[in-house]
Amino acid sequence: MSPVRIGFNASLLLVVFLLQETLISRMHLPLSGFSFYLAVLLLMVLLENRTGAVILGFVGGMILDLSPASESPFGQWALIITAISYLIAVNAESIDEIVGRPVGLGLFVALGTSLSLVAYLLMNGLLGLATGTAGRDALVILGNFFWTMLLAPFFMPLLIVIRDATIGSRERI
Amino acid sequence: MARGGGNRSRLLLVILLVTSLFLVTLDLRGSGVTNGSRSAIQSFLAPIQKGVSDFFAPVGRFFGDVKNFPNVKNEIAALQSENAKLKSQVLVNKDIQGQLKQLKGVLDLAGRGGYRTVSARVIGHGSAATFSQTITIDAGTSDGVNVDKTVISEHGLVGVVKSAEAHSAIVLLMSDPAFKVGVRIARSQSIGVLSGTGGNNFTLQLLDPAGDIQKGDVLFTNGSDNNRPFVPGVPTGQVIAVDHTSATLTQTATVKSYSDLGNLGVVSVIISAPTTAPHTMINPTPRPTVIIYVTPTPTPSATGTPSPTPSPTASPTSTKKAKN
Repeated sequence: MSPVRIGFNASLLLVVFLLQETLISRMHLPLSGFSFYLAVLLLMVLLENRTGAVILGFVGGMILDLSPASESPFGQWALIITAISYLIAVNAESIDEIVGRPVGLGLFVALGTSLSLVAYLLMNGLLGLATGTAGRDALVILGNFFWTMLLAPFFMPLLIVIRDATIGSRERI
Repeated sequence: MARGGGNRSRLLLVILLVTSLFLVTLDLRGSGVTNGSRSAIQSFLAPIQKGVSDFFAPVGRFFGDVKNFPNVKNEIAALQSENAKLKSQVLVNKDIQGQLKQLKGVLDLAGRGGYRTVSARVIGHGSAATFSQTITIDAGTSDGVNVDKTVISEHGLVGVVKSAEAHSAIVLLMSDPAFKVGVRIARSQSIGVLSGTGGNNFTLQLLDPAGDIQKGDVLFTNGSDNNRPFVPGVPTGQVIAVDHTSATLTQTATVKSYSDLGNLGVVSVIISAPTTAPHTMINPTPRPTVIIYVTPTPTPSATGTPSPTPSPTASPTSTKKAKN
């Protein structure tokens, strides 16, 4: 992934993050809401190779860490999303043409989102930070799984178009 | 889709994971670098958030209205019933108003004043991904809003200012699992700690094992040292269930907040509280000053005519004050 694409993807993620904070969070969707940012980030990761996925995961995690609303230690999201991104990239290689299968794609990204949230909670617990009630946390994870699985296939085509427009000729090979 | 792998990606993964762990360690050790980064981002994002929030606010409200559409009919019927009750209550209140006027006079005598507040609009909500319950408001240090200030809505307590920049601040909502506030039960005056649970209900734990608590009890903030982070007397919530099990040393209860934390539009930050708290001694009323006027006895005349019996009269020119 070229430095230009890293910068472009970071800018795109920042815009998505702003949309999440100002619009999606205000919608009060059933099942405790939907993390649009995590869904977009993991979809973008899915389109990259291992190296690109790891870099994108780290950058995306850093943006989440920079969120002033975040109460977790700086770097926690970067650590989790980087590891999850690598896992997604490695596993996506074993599935042939996952982008052409909306249900499989939605399920894959939804599982990645849920795994990220579970890892976040586990790390919070290890660090002695407040995690809330188990029921509430389960509802948040379930809600994110449901909404991500439902909505991810709809904005995947747009992300593919954006990626194709920005990718360099060397990366196409 | 280009797929690659091998040692390069694994090496990069290890480097980035170690970098992340390094950042986590730095932050947990209280490094100012990470806090500075978040403050800078908050200063940068606040104006953008405000603009985007203004632009998309109708969309957000639309989704909220659609979600609540089935409840509107029931809500109208409930409001009509409530309105009828309130009309009858207005008549009763006229009598109470007379008593209230007297009570207010007593409170004024005690020197109890109101809070000084700064009102602010909510321009952002915490991300659903972070599990934290926060809001961003468009008032900051330039408006007198600082860290650890109480934030209230029209119905009661909302939370506390977690961080503040020049023109924005982040408020930790009382529903956040990390939120704790000392409260007092209005009826029994028992004190306890109210904790957020991440949802709409809260957990109250009484400090006194023999404390008195009932369903329907009203809670007020107990106040903190120097009124930070909490000023006393702010309505907090109402007890909706009491846990009577003997498994815990102290009694616990479930509390519902007065404020609708999911639909906050405007909030107020208490920037200064009354200097005299209700528990301070009321200064006694000063006793009235007594003034005694004494007219000097006239000197006997040279002709030897006896002078009339002197009598004390008021004279502004020659007086002697005696203050008691």
